[in-house]
Amino acid sequence: MRQSLAIRLLDNDWAGPGLISLMAIAVISILQPAFLSPFNILVLLSAIAVNMVVALGQLVIIGVGQMNLALGALGGLVAICFVGAIEVLGVPAPLAIVLGLLIGIVAGMANGVIIARTGISAFIITLASLQIFKGINLGITKAQPFYGVPDSVKQFGNTAVFGSIPWLILPAVLGAFCLWYLFRHLRIGRYILALGGNRQAAELSGIDTTGTVIWAHALSGLFAAAAGMMLVARLQIGQPTIGDDWLISSFAAPVIGGASLSGGHVSVAGTFFGVVIIAIITQALVLFSIDPFVVQIVLGGLILWAVGINRFREWRLSKLAIQGA
Amino acid sequence: MRNSILKSGLAMLAVAGLASPALAGSDTKVALVPGGPHPYFAAWEQAGKDAMKDFSLAAGDYRVPQKWELSQQSQLLESLLTQGYNAFLIFPGDAVGTNAVVQEIVDNKGIAIATAGCLKDPTPALFCMGTDTGNSAYLGTKELIKAMGGKGRIAHFTGFLVDPNTQLRIDAVKKAADETNGAVTVVQVIADIDAPQPAEEKINAYLAAHAADVDGIVTTAWVPAVTAANSLRKLGDKRIKMVGIDHDEVVIKAIKDGFVNGTMLQNPYGQGYLGSYVLNKLRGGCKLKDDAPWKSNALTKKFVDSGTVFVDASQADNYVDAMRAITKTILANFEKDYMTCS
Repeated sequence: MRQSLAIRLLDNDWAGPGLISLMAIAVISILQPAFLSPFNILVLLSAIAVNMVVALGQLVIIGVGQMNLALGALGGLVAICFVGAIEVLGVPAPLAIVLGLLIGIVAGMANGVIIARTGISAFIITLASLQIFKGINLGITKAQPFYGVPDSVKQFGNTAVFGSIPWLILPAVLGAFCLWYLFRHLRIGRYILALGGNRQAAELSGIDTTGTVIWAHALSGLFAAAAGMMLVARLQIGQPTIGDDWLISSFAAPVIGGASLSGGHVSVAGTFFGVVIIAIITQALVLFSIDPFVVQIVLGGLILWAVGINRFREWRLSKLAIQGA
Repeated sequence: MRNSILKSGLAMLAVAGLASPALAGSDTKVALVPGGPHPYFAAWEQAGKDAMKDFSLAAGDYRVPQKWELSQQSQLLESLLTQGYNAFLIFPGDAVGTNAVVQEIVDNKGIAIATAGCLKDPTPALFCMGTDTGNSAYLGTKELIKAMGGKGRIAHFTGFLVDPNTQLRIDAVKKAADETNGAVTVVQVIADIDAPQPAEEKINAYLAAHAADVDGIVTTAWVPAVTAANSLRKLGDKRIKMVGIDHDEVVIKAIKDGFVNGTMLQNPYGQGYLGSYVLNKLRGGCKLKDDAPWKSNALTKKFVDSGTVFVDASQADNYVDAMRAITKTILANFEKDYMTCS
């Protein structure tokens, strides 16, 4: 009974990444006690919060069996539109947030409409829209930051409750819960996974594939927008380069968390632990003073190791299941 | 910052009077092309516009590749060449790799100056004009060591590893520390963080764990300087001394508030303005002197220092004057020192 409970736990996508995260935290805390200091936990959770929302934006597209290469460019565009609206147009911060989210949704929907209506690969369409979003960003900013971030926004990005829980965690938790609920309990969530799992079967089942793709991209745009504005709050500056480095981590976290890049299978909890693993690795490389010229090699190797451990866990479980049958 | 660039621009209108008279109706079309989007280069736009007006250029346009990728910059340069641009100020995306596209420019009767970063010799670029990055990092570290009382542990936060200047900066900071015979040590170099998110995550993570172990921070790239200044303000830590780089509003304010001791000012406006002036002169028939007082660095033997100066709290309100003075001096003597014009 005890063994079957353990196996049932290990059967979850998040079990492998969760175990790796716990092991990493334990090892690093022993070697570097400052790792668990309140300020470091605050720093770590802040990074996790933003990267989680970024990963959710990619997760929903992975669910439908596509890729969104424009995620970072859209996040960056919304970030500078958000601060620009406040600084240049004098728009109040709450209204600017709504405006930012709307830009994200509309831009995401535009991607979805073009992909669904033309049948052209999402890879191509989002590659093109990446250039467009980035071009608009540079056209507006001329590569120069906006500095007019209101104090209320700065405080949201840089204050904490209970000493080390950043307020930025709030939108990340809310976003993760909503997406989990959507995949678990809402029709559109099941449509997304069904379409990602088998497009022909989904069409034959009467699923509105066009609408589902548009929905998925609109949601992805919403998450990109939220992440862009969260980063503005965290950095206290509207940098035009926000989002430039989201691409790799946006795919890495869901894949470490057990998502299938071909679509139809995703895990919000697994993605969370994927984000945690990447954040811990990134931080550990700094804490252990790894030579800057080998940081990328070590990071890549550790991500491969984490994915490998998870795949090994899946392989072992499937073998046990076969033996039990 | 936008105001400071404008002020600097207005100053240059006056300084232009010191230069030779502008060539009437010049057909020189200058393109100012950085390696990618970065606030450091924002001053190039105004510099190009002012140079176009002051020297009657056919164009003085600032064009930014969308990403920090050599291929994107090369494609942009090729596109500009086909659009009729014939004079280029280029921040090399790669110290060696960019030589290929510069050769293409030269083969098509264009000319180019490596600006703000150098190309490795042998190069088809006419020369390199920029901050002597090694010297700037060295002087900045010396200022930091002075502020630390001549002893302690330094963390160095710097830019993209693909930037040819980064290794020069790492070496220079180490050199300044080594000269103290062990009284000062560089305990950490964090690189590849000239982008907001990685800078924020890595600098904060480092300070969270090691703030008590360092006595000084030297930053030799724009974004890390901004992020480190913000982090020290957030920590409320004035024990750790810091010398930054460039003139971002956040850094200047942190200097005024006592969280940062000073910054090594560079001269991006002067680079764009002077570079455009020189390109136009060379297209108008002037020749570069072989025996000009070229400086050399690890990449090239034909280097012109566009100037660097340490600015502390006493000069934080009028740092534009320092940039203006440097540009004025170089512009006044450039033709005499570096060119032969018939």
